[in-house]
Amino acid sequence: MLNAAEIKKVLEERTQRQRGTGKKVTDVREEMLRLEEKGELLIHRIRPENRPVQMQTLFGWNKKIPTDRLWHHKSCGQCGNIPGYPSSLLWVMNQTGRRYLNEPHQTSCTAWNYHGTATSNPVALAAVAARNFHRAYETDHFPLVHCGTSFGDYKEMRKLLVENAEVRHKVREVLRGMGRDLVLPEEIVHYSEWVQAMAPEIVARRRFDVSAVVATVHEPCHYYKMVPEDAVYDEAVYGGQRPAVPTGILLSLGARVADYSTWYDCCGFGFRHILSEREFSRSFANLRKIRPMVEEAHADVAITSDTGCVTTLDKSQWIGKAHGQSYLLPVLADVQFAALAMGAHPYKIAQVHWHASPVDHLLEKMGIDWRSAKNEFMEYLKALKNGTAPELLHAPRAEIEQYFAINKGQVLPVEEPSVASASVSPGNGRVSS
Amino acid sequence: MSVVAHLPHRSLSLTEEEAAQPPSMELTGRRRMSPADRGLSQTLYEEFHQDPRYHEYVLGCLNCGECTTGCPAARFYDFSPREMLQIAATGDATTLWDALQEKIWSCCQCYTCNMRCRFGNDIAGIISVMRELSVRHGLEATRKTLAPFGRSLTLLMTVGTQVSADMIQPDFFRDWGPFATGSDQVWGVSPEVMRKAIPLDVLQTTRSSWEVSVQTSLELFRIYEETGVLDMLRGLDPDLTEMLVDIIEERREEFREAREKYRDELITMKGPVASFEG
Ligand code: SF4
Ligand code: SF4
Repeated sequence: MLNAAEIKKVLEERTQRQRGTGKKVTDVREEMLRLEEKGELLIHRIRPENRPVQMQTLFGWNKKIPTDRLWHHKSCGQCGNIPGYPSSLLWVMNQTGRRYLNEPHQTSCTAWNYHGTATSNPVALAAVAARNFHRAYETDHFPLVHCGTSFGDYKEMRKLLVENAEVRHKVREVLRGMGRDLVLPEEIVHYSEWVQAMAPEIVARRRFDVSAVVATVHEPCHYYKMVPEDAVYDEAVYGGQRPAVPTGILLSLGARVADYSTWYDCCGFGFRHILSEREFSRSFANLRKIRPMVEEAHADVAITSDTGCVTTLDKSQWIGKAHGQSYLLPVLADVQFAALAMGAHPYKIAQVHWHASPVDHLLEKMGIDWRSAKNEFMEYLKALKNGTAPELLHAPRAEIEQYFAINKGQVLPVEEPSVASASVSPGNGRVSS
Repeated sequence: MSVVAHLPHRSLSLTEEEAAQPPSMELTGRRRMSPADRGLSQTLYEEFHQDPRYHEYVLGCLNCGECTTGCPAARFYDFSPREMLQIAATGDATTLWDALQEKIWSCCQCYTCNMRCRFGNDIAGIISVMRELSVRHGLEATRKTLAPFGRSLTLLMTVGTQVSADMIQPDFFRDWGPFATGSDQVWGVSPEVMRKAIPLDVLQTTRSSWEVSVQTSLELFRIYEETGVLDMLRGLDPDLTEMLVDIIEERREEFREAREKYRDELITMKGPVASFEG
């Protein structure tokens, strides 16, 4: 680690907008404003009703993190195989009284596929991003991106749409063909930034003491290695030398965060590899990440904040037994850990049963009675099997939404919030207007 | 007596016909290329250098190897980002052709190299440009590499999510162990019931990551049609592409029927829902 004076110098240099390369980095948000003035695009602004919290990025620029009226940009990998990730996030929103929309009118960013098979191109990726941005805009809810890769991709696509007039015009034409327009969000916001912004409210609701827990953090590559100037840093977290999320929430909750030598390595997901060359993903995850976390840091849990990272680090471990590596280190998303500390049901909400490495020991260390929770969950499964209606975190979608991305009362384009759109009231699962 | 005299002697025993063939590997380690491949490699080389991203991504190289030091793929494969950047910057048509056969697919797209490169090269990006090229031209090696992706491509193109719960089958993901796949052997209920136990209604499906509305999937497909993705896929797998077109045609029909059914509700609505015709 650098000493305090060296850290200060690095931070000063950063405010001059320079990366190690010495190249000036321009703030894409300033150019967005100019393009909006010229009528080339619209900006989806963060407004007071989004209850923003101010944070700082790599160069010390301000970044507004909206904490209310959010449009969930779900992650296909999370929803597909680690569903406790989104359900924990929505549960924390209910607990803290935040409004949101969780709709079927969203596609993934499609960047997993692009990074895995290259069967797409930047214009298509930009159009997919812009279609989702426009949908969020027309519902008057600010997009909150669940996945690290979607976050990285959307940062790249926003930059591309601002800097490349040809791509911008093409995408606008495609969008207009479907009655949409080019709207770029004022900030691209990753859910872990929301978790960090909500730290005071989360800590105020903490029900379990996590001070005995040693956590190691895996920083998702696409959070900070793609368009690095958009990632959030804080001098109080690693002296501002590594991103502030997801470590910040662990420190706020009182967990012990331990360092390990390979923190900078990727997880081994590889996009293509996790599906068709898992021997690589497994070897990399076990040898380069899990082993140092266990042997160097004596971790009780690995915490990360991206779909691919949770999947790879968690699911690659079980087979390690074949090589005498029975680490079985639990791997959770920051928001699952926060939800558990706040008293979320480990199975019904945190959905820990989809994880390959058992979390029982960790739950015990947190003081959570997982045995009764598990029995309760088994009973719940039986009831579901017999036709009982499932418990939901918010009101289910209307039947018409199976087909149409319906207008929910919003006026386009949204200038001022003269008409409130339908939102989910936290806790009671009813739709309010 | 010299040492050389003791070395085993191997006589040349090729038939005349065999001897007339060029060696299978040239001394540079390059593959033997047919005249057709040689022609194609030249086309690929030209297209690669004409890509507008080329000059943005390839800025210069010190050969310092900083990129390779942090590269996960370099630890396990005969691959290095330094070499890829060198091929992009100074390679000829044959070196590019060689890289397109296999090496480009080793990269994890983690962007570690980009972050470390003092030149500011976009190495992960230039590898993607190479991959796109190999997909567009349907190279045989690329078809083989991407053969296992038919199912996820179908999902991606028709509903825009990459995985579904029913793809995570215990027999295919055996290495993930018994817990990660929602297998009924562990919990005693079907995967459908396991998905019902997720408290988010749009996730209670096994066929996609979440339920995607018909309008959304049609809008997505229109993007693919209008931005050349569908044509690109045709070059790689024409049968799969035709199947996708059929699936979408069915969804369009479903959309038209729904427009009739919900006509009264839709009349009052503004925005894309009112204007989008499928
Ligand atoms: S993006 Fe590819 S080449 Fe670059 S470090 Fe990651 S795996 Fe290596
Ligand atoms: S880090 Fe950059 S300059 Fe150094 S070898 Fe890699 S590409 Fe070349």
